[in-house]
Amino acid sequence: MKKNIFNIHRSLSTRLSLLIVLFAAVILVASLGYMFGVSREAIRQEAVNHATEILENTALRVNGILDKVVIATDNTDWLITSHLDSPDSMFFYSRCILLNNPDLNGCSIAFEPNFFKERGRYFSAYSYNDKGKILTSQEGNEQYEYFYMDWYQLCKLLDRPVWTEPFMDYNPEDIYSYDMIASYCKPLKDSEGNYIGTIAVDLSLEWLSKTISAVKPYPNSYSIMIGSGGTYFVHPDTTKLFYQTIYTETLEKPDTAITALGRAMQRGEEGMRQLKIDGEECFVFYKPLSTTGWSVAIVCPESDIFGSFNRIRRAVTIAVLAGLLLMFLVCIRIIARELRPLKRLVKQAGSIANGNFNETLPDDGRNDEIGQLSDSFSNMQRSLVNYISELKQTTAQKASMENELKVASDIQMSMVPRTFPPFPARRDIDLFASMTPAKEVGGDLYDFFIQNEHLYFCVGDVSGKGVPASLFMAVTRNLFRIVAQQGHSPAEIATQINNILSNDNEQNMFVTMFIGCADLKTGHLDFCNCGHNAPLIDGEFMKLKYTNRPLGIWEEGDFYGESIDDIRDKQIFIYTDGLTEAENLQHELFGDERLHEFLAKAQSLSSEQVIIMLQESVAKHRDGTIPNDDLTLLCLTIVEPK
Amino acid sequence: MLVLFSNVVKAQERFIFTPQWTAQAQFAGYYVAYEKGFYKDAGVNVEIIHPSATESAMNRIRNNDSHATTLQLCQAMEIVDNGISLVNIFQTSMNNALVIVSRRGKDPLTQKGARVGIWSIGFGQMAICMSIKEHLDYEWIPFAYNVNLFVAGAVDATLAMSYNEYYQLLQTGMDLTEENVYRFCDHGYNVQEDGVYMTREYYETHKEQADKFAQASRRGWEWAAQHPDETLEIVMKYVRDNHIATNRVLQKLMLAEVLRLQVDRESGKREFRLRPDMVKLASGLMVECNLLKHEVTYEDLITK
Repeated sequence: MKKNIFNIHRSLSTRLSLLIVLFAAVILVASLGYMFGVSREAIRQEAVNHATEILENTALRVNGILDKVVIATDNTDWLITSHLDSPDSMFFYSRCILLNNPDLNGCSIAFEPNFFKERGRYFSAYSYNDKGKILTSQEGNEQYEYFYMDWYQLCKLLDRPVWTEPFMDYNPEDIYSYDMIASYCKPLKDSEGNYIGTIAVDLSLEWLSKTISAVKPYPNSYSIMIGSGGTYFVHPDTTKLFYQTIYTETLEKPDTAITALGRAMQRGEEGMRQLKIDGEECFVFYKPLSTTGWSVAIVCPESDIFGSFNRIRRAVTIAVLAGLLLMFLVCIRIIARELRPLKRLVKQAGSIANGNFNETLPDDGRNDEIGQLSDSFSNMQRSLVNYISELKQTTAQKASMENELKVASDIQMSMVPRTFPPFPARRDIDLFASMTPAKEVGGDLYDFFIQNEHLYFCVGDVSGKGVPASLFMAVTRNLFRIVAQQGHSPAEIATQINNILSNDNEQNMFVTMFIGCADLKTGHLDFCNCGHNAPLIDGEFMKLKYTNRPLGIWEEGDFYGESIDDIRDKQIFIYTDGLTEAENLQHELFGDERLHEFLAKAQSLSSEQVIIMLQESVAKHRDGTIPNDDLTLLCLTIVEPK
Repeated sequence: MLVLFSNVVKAQERFIFTPQWTAQAQFAGYYVAYEKGFYKDAGVNVEIIHPSATESAMNRIRNNDSHATTLQLCQAMEIVDNGISLVNIFQTSMNNALVIVSRRGKDPLTQKGARVGIWSIGFGQMAICMSIKEHLDYEWIPFAYNVNLFVAGAVDATLAMSYNEYYQLLQTGMDLTEENVYRFCDHGYNVQEDGVYMTREYYETHKEQADKFAQASRRGWEWAAQHPDETLEIVMKYVRDNHIATNRVLQKLMLAEVLRLQVDRESGKREFRLRPDMVKLASGLMVECNLLKHEVTYEDLITK
């Protein structure tokens, strides 16, 4: 099984299963991806709405309390500026504010240095709530020069009411416990609008810290609050409170996302950002608190917001993967089962291929494509058996025919003289000839013999090729022997052969032939050319007066002969058109010109050398091309005795 | 025998040292000398008591509650000018740490008449001189101890120490660049700062104790320079014990900067000495700008 799964190149079932599963996976991934994307965006939007709503509510509650402080201060400052002639009344007013607003921790009504000249440099009426008991005192002195304090100076310099940054107010009895305090400060002005001092109302922010800390829309989410200087005033890690700002860690490890968040919060912006906090992706929702310059934020880890979504996505992914695996295995089994007959077919086809043609093919009785394939294969097997049987028979016949053709070829070749030199006793005859049929047997011929000191010779080319031509050649050659031995001239020989061949020549075959008769004593040559290629003498094409027609075409009319007085020491070369029409791969002919060029340089060569070299030259020209015609060459030189 | 007995009593006499500010890395060398036993090794019974909100370091010296404190050179010169004879028994700073920081994109030198925050207890003498000499006529707004006025936008610029408020400002998200930070040390005001001072009266009767304290303190600073990580741990212990609203990052940066300021620009070494030329420069500037009534010389400050 394992082998099948991984050998996908050889297993159609695995390959098909893989393709099906891959296609299904693409569809599923695309669908689920879209669904997950849409769901995630919906959850994100829901989280944004949820967190924003909680933040709005928290800010509303906090602002409600802060507004109370503002109203309490605003309701008092006119009383102060109306009674500047009575410094002691300031203690009363500061006390009254606390009495009327039990939520407040303290109140300072402080004046510029030497404002009340009789009271000296320092005058600040300060009341504070000590566990429900309101205590009042004058707080300025050389050790506590209040006019350098933030709560005094900020509203003076900015010329408007402000909230100070929260600060730690240590309990003198318990140095480890402290309260987080912030002051709302408002400049006091005389009737002419000149600044004369500051009223500062202290508010414990413990409730604010608890209110903001309790905001927890998700199990691992938390809230923070930073002041206008970025200092943490609410943070789950209490070691950071007052001691660290949102930027502290960025001083050592720059973090542009945190820096951007801090700047946005400091600018009093409201919004949402996604960033990495302590290595975890988080959504941070932030909003300013009233006009304090403080900003509160809810930090929600992404894993919290998308916790359920991620769990569902993980489960669905696992289920889909398991489903795809199951689908893959089931597909393999089903396809393998369906293809089982095909496997048997493959096995039996292999057996048939090995020569076991009588192998019985399975019949599963199926009508589907595999059943049809099996039937077709069965038909093919029967056809194959028949074909092979016929082929065997044909092959046997062909072998027999080839054998016969070989015999015929041997016979044909034995009909022409093949022993060279043909007349070893005679030094005055340099003669060499060759005949190469294009097929097993050919239609070319040559012959020669000596009778009464005359050398009779001929070279012929029967129309057509193969067996018919070879039979016609055999007849022609025998006729030449018979007629020539009667001592006739070449023209008479041609006439007589033509008469015999044209009689009952139903196949309309003919033969071109050059017939020559050389007197060995005088060198006189009589010849008759019957439609044959002009021979060459000493490398030059012979100029013939009579070309005559080929032999066997029709009976009427004589053949005309010609003569050359003395051919002694002249090289006569006779050939069939298989030489000049030899083609190479580019269908270029060997041609008269190449032949003329070759023979012009071959005067000093013997007849045998001429023939052999010319054969090599033709073979080189053909360059492996199968011969298209029979090739017959004859070279003769009558040597004059010296 | 009597002399020996007298020396032992003197050796065991408490030597109360009060840094001029709350616990922070600015005083790391003294904490190290105490924690590592360098004072004990030197035979001086040192106790480090920080100033409180109700009693400053100089008040403690005046009241004889403390025997030595750290002061900036200019502060010491003002005190001497006011008639209290002080002796510099040990000098740590070799460079000026004062800077003016203005808002992003604003050059402090172009803000004529700007409201500039300054420590209510001093430290800004060179800035006052610069404001006068450069005809900038800053309006000085004293603040108690933090950078809130500047952060809230109540002042246009603020003075800061390069080892303290400078990093506090960075920690509030401020952009500090070459353009909006003016460093006095780079503009002809490089006057030494922190040194340990005591009244000449006390010094005259406790020379040996003062010398031993100075030597052990120097050993403490040298150790701190070689072991900054361990020194930071010691500093953080003091910070925690004194409930100081700071953090490890700030203290680490402060320690590195304070140690850097101890290296003399010309010699490249921690020299631990008062430079006569810097005393002369500071005195000259302060007399010219009416911060001193008389010239305070190098000889007025050193041990004789």
